[in-house]
Amino acid sequence: MTTHLTRPATGADKPGPAAPGRLRNLTRILVETPEAGIIAACVVVFVSIAANASTYASVGNLQVMGRDLAQVGILAIGESLVILTGGIDLSVGALAGLAGILAAWFNVSAGMPAPLAILLTLLICAVIGWWHGMMVTKLNVPPFVITLVTYTVSIGAALAITGGSPINGIDPLFSNLSAYYVDQVPVPALFFVGAAVIAWFVLERTYVGRQVYAVGGNKEAARLVGIPVARRITATYVASSCLAGVVGILVIGRMNVADPSVGGSGWELTAIAAAVVGGVSLFGGEGRIIGIAAGAILLEFISNGLLALKVSAYDQEMVQGAVLGVAILLDRLRARRFTRVRS
Amino acid sequence: MTQSQSKAQSKAQSQSKPQSQSQSDSPDAPGRAVTARLRGVHKSYGPTRVLDLPELDLYAGQVVGVVGENGAGKSTLMGTLAGSVHRDGGEIEIDGRPLVPGSTAAAQQLGVALVSQEFPLVGQLSVTENLMLGRRPRASRRRFLVDRKAQRAEAAAMLTDIGLPPDSVPLGREVRLLPAPTRQLLEIAKGWGRAPRLLILDEPTSSLGPVEAALVLALARRLADEGGTVLFIGHRLDEVREISDRVLVLRNGRLVADLDRAQADEDRLIREMVGGEISHLAPKEALTEGEVLLGLSQVTADGLGPVDLEIRRGEILGVAGLMGSGRSRLVHTVAGAQPATGGQMVLDGRRYRPRHAMDGVAAGVALIPEDRKEQALVLFAPIKANVTVGVLREISSRGVLRPGRQRAEAQRIAEGVNVRMQSVDQPVGSLSGGNQQRAIFGRAFAAKPKLLLRDAPTRGVDVGAKAEIYELVDRAAAAGTAVLVASSELEELLWICHRIAVMNHGRVVAVLDRAEATKERIMTAAAGTAHDPGPAVDPAGPAEVNPSTEPGTWGAA
Repeated sequence: MTTHLTRPATGADKPGPAAPGRLRNLTRILVETPEAGIIAACVVVFVSIAANASTYASVGNLQVMGRDLAQVGILAIGESLVILTGGIDLSVGALAGLAGILAAWFNVSAGMPAPLAILLTLLICAVIGWWHGMMVTKLNVPPFVITLVTYTVSIGAALAITGGSPINGIDPLFSNLSAYYVDQVPVPALFFVGAAVIAWFVLERTYVGRQVYAVGGNKEAARLVGIPVARRITATYVASSCLAGVVGILVIGRMNVADPSVGGSGWELTAIAAAVVGGVSLFGGEGRIIGIAAGAILLEFISNGLLALKVSAYDQEMVQGAVLGVAILLDRLRARRFTRVRS
Repeated sequence: MTQSQSKAQSKAQSQSKPQSQSQSDSPDAPGRAVTARLRGVHKSYGPTRVLDLPELDLYAGQVVGVVGENGAGKSTLMGTLAGSVHRDGGEIEIDGRPLVPGSTAAAQQLGVALVSQEFPLVGQLSVTENLMLGRRPRASRRRFLVDRKAQRAEAAAMLTDIGLPPDSVPLGREVRLLPAPTRQLLEIAKGWGRAPRLLILDEPTSSLGPVEAALVLALARRLADEGGTVLFIGHRLDEVREISDRVLVLRNGRLVADLDRAQADEDRLIREMVGGEISHLAPKEALTEGEVLLGLSQVTADGLGPVDLEIRRGEILGVAGLMGSGRSRLVHTVAGAQPATGGQMVLDGRRYRPRHAMDGVAAGVALIPEDRKEQALVLFAPIKANVTVGVLREISSRGVLRPGRQRAEAQRIAEGVNVRMQSVDQPVGSLSGGNQQRAIFGRAFAAKPKLLLRDAPTRGVDVGAKAEIYELVDRAAAAGTAVLVASSELEELLWICHRIAVMNHGRVVAVLDRAEATKERIMTAAAGTAHDPGPAVDPAGPAEVNPSTEPGTWGAA
């Protein structure tokens, strides 16, 4: 390993001084586990906020964070799947909003039983994801553009369906999904964990998942070895849209009302931020679920921590942005330090 | 062209009409089974027919060399067989079974494997995963779940099977961390691992050192001996001749010669490829007059120096050296792409201290990058945008670009270097490789550089395009530009340079005038420790100039 790590790919250099064995091992672990930094950041942020705000680490607040995580985290997982193929899905936030409205409308206005309403909503989300995949793979529409279309249409549809006013009186099943606890762990947090575990399993342990990485890392290579590139890409859009649907349904349950003004409030950007902070490359092919989950957790720790620290509501977003900026800066510095030898 | 040569050529052409050839069976392949049968296969891009093969049979048990200039249709032929290029028409049969057009999966099913020079590997995935990309291990019964153990075992077996020592390549390592020769070997192992009937090797040795190259050639022979067929695309004619039982020459998408091993001598191949004779340039006299344009004294940089060197106006100075000798570093340091850490450079009488490539450009230094597709051109942008990008300020008035003026200037630049094109509005990517190369030179000349730098100019460039590059370099020098060329190919340096500086361990160990420079002397200086080149060492051939890592160190720990 030393041979090529210390010698640039151009081969135009003499080997650098050999690092001592232990340091080299540590370096190797850091290079090969880009998530190490983000996980460390989660710990540092949590501990330092908890030390300054007594309520932060309380069970009640942890439960709040767990529920929030279901939103940011599940969206981030879906978003990451798309980004892994080299695409982007701007529609997830707005689609989550629309999904909530649809489920409520099917349930309340159309009089469907809640399970059927949920199923139908998820089905519609799947179709929308499939449509994204088709447009991207068959007609070469840039993912940015086609999902922006859905973003706009979804916000509009949510308003059009409801006429702008919230839908009340949804089935208790919705709020039960969001309000129940299992051993003090809120159910939405379990959804997040479940989504993360399934995504991890599919990405790391199945051929289909590994092929998603191959498609994102080098589309041409994937095509030449006979991987069904279009199908893999489409599948990620379907998964992303369905996960957005799940989030939408959890959100209306949490608020016990379907509010058309909730969707599209920048969730997709938070999801993208969580993915990027978690080590997902926007060029595709790089990033793991553990990092993505850690990224989402870090963002939640920070935004909730600002509340706990009683930072003025007007300053919160600025502080959040700044923290993100610093996190990314540190990550890039680390990456540069450990990849300089590669290039 | 002499009369006897032209006679020989016309004879060769009449003899090698593809039709007559394949109907009466090639003399050295009587009654052999046909691996690939092509009938009326053709492909066009726009109005240009890039491949047109009325009839071609590839026989089992043969290594078939394919040579031709850039744009002759070699890549299209390979792509058509491998399914990555969708042919416009015609039939292809592999072992008697029809190949549907445009499907890599179908081609693989029929036993066609393509090893490309572009290394289509997924850099972020491990060696194992790349080797097993798109398929499951044979020993595994799991359909959906990744069987890592079986994958690793099969990947290891694949590497051993192509002749690599076990554990010489770390299986778990991300491929992007591996050096280029190792990646090329992985690509070969990937193709080989599919147990192909027809193995297509596209310039497999261009990035390999002699040890690995020998390994690849042995593999090609082995497959042929086992009854398969190898299509070997190469630019190094000696290598193609050595390995091939039969050599096909393509020109402008057509099969112009179909030669058996005995017929395929180097002169003949070159003649068929270019459709005429290329002019041989005479060795150049050293320039003793002319003022010094660039002087380096005690220049150091990371992995370089201290270096003392002078280049005169109008001089072409070659930089030779083994891989890792600091050849490229010298060029990059002069260009400003790599910061100098000490010493002085004087350019045109002024202190020259570039911190960025930008500073180099401002001082009149032009670097023509190594990789024309990745580093030099925006392929989908029109020719006019590509060739005028360095002179936009000059052709604008008060910061506003005048489209008409840009077009006229582009026309002038492109015609100045004889780019063969329909109009300056067509995408530069639609030009042939040689013409793209010309466009790059045109752009560099347009900025009227005092010093032109060229690093490793001819990887993957064929004979004809090389001659064009040489001619363009000559033209620049004749106009008073100093040219610094770093290359691993000694013939090339001996061909175009006035003087050759030989580097070793980051230092210039010898500067030879053209008259005293021989391959042996250059190599002695490049490989040895002595500053004064002694008597010629055992000439291990020019390949030695590009040594690879030793066996057992392909990126291994």
